[in-house]
Amino acid sequence: MKRELHIRVNGDEYHLLVETHRTLLEVIRDEIGLTGTKNGCGQGECGACTVLLDGEPVNSCLVLAHEAEGHDVLTIEGLGSGDTLHPVQRAFVETGAIQCGYCTPGMVLTAKALLDHNPTPTRAEILEGLKGNLCRCTGYVKIVEAVEAASCLLEGGEIE
Amino acid sequence: MKTCIVRKGLPRIDAIPKVSGEAQYTVDLKMPGLLVGKILRSPHAHARIKSIDTSAAKALDGVLAVITAEDVPENLFAFYQWQADKHILCTDRVRYVGDEVAAVAAMDDDTAEAALDLIKVEYEALPVILDIDEAMKPGAQLIHEGKESNSTWSVDRLFGDPDKALAECDYVVEGTYVTHQLAHCCLEVSNCIAKWDKRDKLTIWTNAQAPHTQRQEVARVLGIPRRNVRIINSTMGGGFGSKLVMDMKLPIASVLSRLTGRPVRIVNTRSEEFTTAKTRYPYTLHLKTGATKDGKILVRDLTLIGDNGAYHDKGPATINFSSMMFGTLYNVPNIRFHGELVYTNKAMGTAFRGFGNPQVTFATESQIDELAEKMGMDPLELRRRNVNHPDETAACGAEVCGCAMSECMELAAKEIGWEEKRGKGAPLRGVGLANMVHTGGGGRFYGFNSAEAIIKLSDEGTVTLITSALDMGQGAHTAMAQIAAEELGVRLEDINVLSHDTELTPYDLGSWGSRATFMNGNAVLAAAEDARQSLVEAAAEMLEADPADILVEESKVWVKGSHEKHDLSEVVDHTVNEHGEPISGIGRFVDHLPEGYTIPTAFAKNIPCFSFGTQAVEVEVDPETGQVNVLRVVAAHETGTTINQTMAEGQLEGSMAQGIGFALMERLVHDDEGRIVNDRFLDYKIPNIGDVPEMKAYCVESVGTRGPFGAKGIGEPGLVPTAPAIANAIYDAIGVRLHEVPMTREQIIKALKEKRASET
Repeated sequence: MKRELHIRVNGDEYHLLVETHRTLLEVIRDEIGLTGTKNGCGQGECGACTVLLDGEPVNSCLVLAHEAEGHDVLTIEGLGSGDTLHPVQRAFVETGAIQCGYCTPGMVLTAKALLDHNPTPTRAEILEGLKGNLCRCTGYVKIVEAVEAASCLLEGGEIE
Repeated sequence: MKTCIVRKGLPRIDAIPKVSGEAQYTVDLKMPGLLVGKILRSPHAHARIKSIDTSAAKALDGVLAVITAEDVPENLFAFYQWQADKHILCTDRVRYVGDEVAAVAAMDDDTAEAALDLIKVEYEALPVILDIDEAMKPGAQLIHEGKESNSTWSVDRLFGDPDKALAECDYVVEGTYVTHQLAHCCLEVSNCIAKWDKRDKLTIWTNAQAPHTQRQEVARVLGIPRRNVRIINSTMGGGFGSKLVMDMKLPIASVLSRLTGRPVRIVNTRSEEFTTAKTRYPYTLHLKTGATKDGKILVRDLTLIGDNGAYHDKGPATINFSSMMFGTLYNVPNIRFHGELVYTNKAMGTAFRGFGNPQVTFATESQIDELAEKMGMDPLELRRRNVNHPDETAACGAEVCGCAMSECMELAAKEIGWEEKRGKGAPLRGVGLANMVHTGGGGRFYGFNSAEAIIKLSDEGTVTLITSALDMGQGAHTAMAQIAAEELGVRLEDINVLSHDTELTPYDLGSWGSRATFMNGNAVLAAAEDARQSLVEAAAEMLEADPADILVEESKVWVKGSHEKHDLSEVVDHTVNEHGEPISGIGRFVDHLPEGYTIPTAFAKNIPCFSFGTQAVEVEVDPETGQVNVLRVVAAHETGTTINQTMAEGQLEGSMAQGIGFALMERLVHDDEGRIVNDRFLDYKIPNIGDVPEMKAYCVESVGTRGPFGAKGIGEPGLVPTAPAIANAIYDAIGVRLHEVPMTREQIIKALKEKRASET
């Protein structure tokens, strides 16, 4: 059964007719056409589909699209402004925290949410904060460095 | 060596598209008329198919095609055609849980799912064999009828006189080591779109590490001309060996497309990925090592049984490669190797980063420590007495040119604090190390080893580099761009790398065996040299100078001694628009075969470039819970010349994490009926960010290889020695020796109990 869905994604309003059992991930990728959000497992276990729902990271494969009715969604495409990367994105690029890149959008958004709440996390807090995002390529060493570097960039007054 | 771009830890050229969500993976592609394909897979590990009824599925609204074995070509397939044993869709028998039985194409996901549910298959269960010992018993149920036994292939290698050497040894140790099935766990699952068009041309979009050989494989199994098949890659979400050999979803989607006249997409679910995307070959290894009392290893004798799974794939190649690395490490003069592959009713094995070497090295490097223990010698000292040396030819024929084994070993030992910690660390803490040798440049296994690349400059001096080096995430595109930029004298950001289309790229064997940097890199270097020559001639003409005096660097051109620098674009604009002479280059690298080379006898002469390395680890073990905490891993690996420091470290760090998974966490677990019970990330644990310890990667430069700028491949070596280093550290910590990976908590507790019992 289809129902109307009003949703704000990256600041844009969408009015869609969506079946009630569709996930937020499916709507973002298939209806809205933003494919930066990745499907890694469809079971909420890898974090690749992480988006920010009202600023909080969620596995979008576990959220029904209609649960996001009236809420704000931020996907990787909405991070940064225009041609300017967000400091977290810049830090990922510069530290070499990206290999195949499939986990990267989810990882970056989780890191952004972590830094929004806690601008100067300890190493232990970074590990705790990113535990839900799996990466098979990097061994995470440079991801930790990237979050630390992003923290410095943000503390140094980099605009978002 | 003075360099501008090579040897710098520059950001990857694809980092910005990836970090901003712009990068397109195969799963992201959209296409008009695209249908959803799904595969009905066997729920039985071994059964006869008595009947299939597809009528209800065909009648469902929105279903455009339903196919079974009757609708697909009858050809049998395997990576090696002489081992062909698998139909596109099962005819009368299924041989593992997940075997392809039927397939549908439908308007959408839900309809395709519903159609699968409507296909009625009647099975008659057959005895299920999951264990190699059971499979090898005389009279065991045959997994492939008509074959003589479940033992399906074997190889023997002999160098020197192992029996005589064993009699001469002062010390001999013997043991059995076991490894299990592992999943690659690429974050992007295996998936494809096939479109069979009206001109009979079949285009397949997929994530392939070896698109040219997969193109041949698809043509072979479908019985169509190779020229009609085109494979297009997108950005790839991981490979690790899982995307070398064609997956059956390629021909299945192709047949569905031909029947419907529309493009058809098939995407694995994560559960399908765990259960059917193939695995690392599990080995059971019976190993003997013998040495003289002064610590010279005289002999190694290995019998290795590989669990093939239900069908053939890369098994013989994997076991052969294992034997080559086994023969080369420490240049042991007397070697006996027996390898055998055995069918079981499990998912088939395939290539997996390290290609049989992590399994064998777990055995050999664990046993070195056991030998040292028996001799009362420091295991580091025993290794020192047996290191490989530069420019030696090993007894097994391996031609080792560059070799920094000693440097790697001493560095890793120093950094882990070997002298201070080994045998005298804090209670329940221990250190261990392990060495390895691997190929740093692919191999000559096809009877040849070559690569080609093409470069063209635009009329503004930007560069299009056409290379067959696939980037599955390891960074091959950036490495190729760095090599081209360095040689041509252009900025890295001016290079655009294309490698995605078999109609565009030169024929190539693919990205495997730590091959791309060495092979494709050399071809790119040759193409850049070729283009540079034209560029220099054009500049000399324009600037009225001798070509020998022309300098090109960072996209600036000038005459030696002159201060007037010109933009490269001026030179290119001049030669293109004034003379109609565009600049391009073509390069080919042929790794010539050694004299007398034949495929059956070549053995370790197949390897054009060896790469050595050492890992040292410190662990802490909780004897109550059996928990092993890896505190630190130090990896020192040979790179020849490091093309990109950041990316090379990244290869080693990622490998170490996979090595820790192999050592302590990962194993596909089957129930008695052959179903994989841990088919999700919650149950099949790969290391998360909290599971990895402090890891330090050292890229040890060395001389003596023919790689571009002296570089070697570094994609695989980093997970080869991790598991034995951890096993050796566990022994140092708690005095128990584990012979099976993953080394689980249960194993540790059991071993500790046995140790206590034997001490009382």
